Amino acid sequence: MNENRRQILEMLAAGKITADEAERLLAALEPDAVNASEFTGRTANGATVKTRAKYLRVLVEADESMTGMKGQTTVNVRVPMQLLRAGVRLASLIPAQAHEHLDQALNRHGVPLTLSQIKPENLEELIDHLEDLTVDVEGKEGNGTKVRVFCE
Amino acid sequence: MTPNIAIVQIEAPRWRTPPLWLPLFLLWIPALLLAPVILLVMFGVCVAGRVNPGRAIATFWAILCGLPGTRVHVTTHESKVLVRIL
Repeated sequence: MNENRRQILEMLAAGKITADEAERLLAALEPDAVNASEFTGRTANGATVKTRAKYLRVLVEADESMTGMKGQTTVNVRVPMQLLRAGVRLASLIPAQAHEHLDQALNRHGVPLTLSQIKPENLEELIDHLEDLTVDVEGKEGNGTKVRVFCE
Repeated sequence: MTPNIAIVQIEAPRWRTPPLWLPLFLLWIPALLLAPVILLVMFGVCVAGRVNPGRAIATFWAILCGLPGTRVHVTTHESKVLVRIL
């Protein structure tokens, strides 16, 4: 606990400030408030807007041992998030009669998923959280393969 | 906005193309001419698959409009392929 926080709590305990005032003071000290402001911008009329990732980037660097081709192979793919959002909507177009077959096939391959339970709003939520995702994969010794997935 | 231009560049060990600017907006001409047929086929497929045709068209349109900004760049030791959609 830092000194400022301790002083506020001591003032509250001594009855010098009310609980509401202590709450406001503690909130002002909250480090998250500072971090949050770093990732938000302000419009001309003062409204706060959160900047959102526009693209999903997939970077792959594979060496000869992985591809069987001479030299290093690199793949750099940039997919707009808008396209990703539209793509997941395709799942809602899967005919209901196909759900059962797909569920059975997924179960056979060790993916216990029930497609009928996935709603478009769940997929939207998934895409929203994808913006916070970063995947970094590096091969073990002798394998120089690297995979990076992130949003920008 | 729908994709207007695609830029394709291919480099092989013995030859290479300059960046090819493909005017995708010209595809609107055959697409508009064939629109009645395309819509009819889509409607038939949707009815057969028991899918809401309105939702299917909206999804297809959203995918089309999401394409601009896509970039695929593959490089190997001797060759390179770059595709950009604007």
